Amino acid sequence: MISRREFAEQLALMAAAPWFMEDMPEPRAPSPQAQQEPSALAKALAEGVRLRYPDRFSADDITAITRSIDNRLRQIERLYQTQLTNADEPDFVYSVYRGAD
Amino acid sequence: MAPPDFAFLTVAELARLLRQKKTSATELATYFLDRAERLGPRFNAVVTVTRERALSEAAVADREIKAGKWRGPLHGIPYGVKDLLATKDYPTTWGAEPYRQQKFDSDATVIERLGAAGAVLVAKLAMVELAGGMGYNQANASFTGPGKTPWNPNYWSGGSSSGPGAAVAAGIVPFAIGSETSGSILTPAAYCGVTGLRPTYGRVSRHGAMALAWTMDKLGPLGRSAEDCGIVLGVIAGKDPKDPSSVDRAHPLIPSPGGRGGTKWKLGIPKGADKDIQPEVAANFRAALKVLEDRLEIVEDVELPDLPYGAVAGMIIGAEGASAYDDLLKDGRLSQLTAPEDRTGGYPALALSAPDYLRALRVRRPMQRALDDFLKKFDALAVPTRNTVASPIDKPFRDGWPGVTGGANVIGPTNVVGVPGISVPNGFGVQGLPTGLSFTARAFDEGKLVSLGQLYQSRTDWHRRQPTLT
Repeated sequence: MISRREFAEQLALMAAAPWFMEDMPEPRAPSPQAQQEPSALAKALAEGVRLRYPDRFSADDITAITRSIDNRLRQIERLYQTQLTNADEPDFVYSVYRGAD
Repeated sequence: MAPPDFAFLTVAELARLLRQKKTSATELATYFLDRAERLGPRFNAVVTVTRERALSEAAVADREIKAGKWRGPLHGIPYGVKDLLATKDYPTTWGAEPYRQQKFDSDATVIERLGAAGAVLVAKLAMVELAGGMGYNQANASFTGPGKTPWNPNYWSGGSSSGPGAAVAAGIVPFAIGSETSGSILTPAAYCGVTGLRPTYGRVSRHGAMALAWTMDKLGPLGRSAEDCGIVLGVIAGKDPKDPSSVDRAHPLIPSPGGRGGTKWKLGIPKGADKDIQPEVAANFRAALKVLEDRLEIVEDVELPDLPYGAVAGMIIGAEGASAYDDLLKDGRLSQLTAPEDRTGGYPALALSAPDYLRALRVRRPMQRALDDFLKKFDALAVPTRNTVASPIDKPFRDGWPGVTGGANVIGPTNVVGVPGISVPNGFGVQGLPTGLSFTARAFDEGKLVSLGQLYQSRTDWHRRQPTLT
């Protein structure tokens, strides 16, 4: 049986990058999570997207965007379950520039 | 006298014919240009045939070879590139309607390097629009139509390097350059029955390549054999001042494992790798391991560190992709994309916050260390490249092979941290469709992957099989 954590991660991936999902096992049975109402935060954030481009989306578009945002919010929860310290920097290094004198 | 049949020869074999003066670069270019024009549309594999450029480059190669100036194993060899590499004088469409007329005034670094090695560009090859960055969920996601595998054109060629996979499989080009952010070289390699090599992030310059996710994009070869992929990688790899993420690191050839009294290599098999996947895929995987078992120590049921690979990848691709295409998001040209789901797929990322993106980048660093500590216990990991054969082109991916739910997710985690992988054909499954065997190793261990692929291909002939094209 797929774990709750695995299912949440798969859902999140499905929203973020479906081609990436191709190598992920799919949930074996419909989950209540799959049909659950998007969170209030997801709806609010989707409304923000709609307000940014007020004439661009149909009702179906907004529904799809809301569900995708909802899945992303669950994905974000996983990021904060990994312990980091203040000293753990992003994996890029900014380098200062000095042009020719 | 029958016309020459170059279509399914390897780079090494074509180079031998050139060196022996049994053919010319111009004859090869003409031969593959004709195939690109004739067969490209059948598989939706070709965007632009670069005839004028190819014949010009071939003429130069012929003059040089005649004068005894031998540039190396790719001199006079035709090739194609995924249409996300900038190419002077020809459109570079990124597979997307909004960029159909786009032109650049210089070549991508990879094309420059192949040109310097004497290779001959014959075609720009089809791809999933924007390399899949807007979230496509079915094969018809390019203005060139759904990519079709030459083994059965009712089925997908894989993506997003759909054209490179199909073109190599159909003998349209001897090798091609594709790109992978998360699965886009290995998947078409498996679905088209060819060999694909995803290099370590930074091994190959991305300068002149369309960006999907700057910190995850990799360019690499698809070809007829592991040896060919190793040859091409040797030409395109290396530091490029125009790409600060590129690295200067040797790409040594590694002797085969266990040969001449040498020690066996340790091959890890991730837990669940062949569980609950298509039976033919599982059987081919086990048969492939059997072929190699005298030279390898096989360790079953190894487990990758339990880390949020998917969450990190989703955040990085979502945020970097939305930024890379912010012009399309802003002016609404996403609506011109082919796949309906791509027309809205970029907008949800606008709701991501900068701290959340940075959190993903911070988590990725300990993730890299943990995965490297894990990978260093083995010379390579092995999994079936995909848990099914190719999906039907007329169904959403999720409905393609219902009920197949298993397998081990290796493509995702290894792409997040940027380590290399190779897929070699290892048999056929339902509908006469090919299956793939993947090896993955530590960063910059492409030499080991090529060596493993060569060993397998020295004992099997799956990479020599040809689709029926009549």
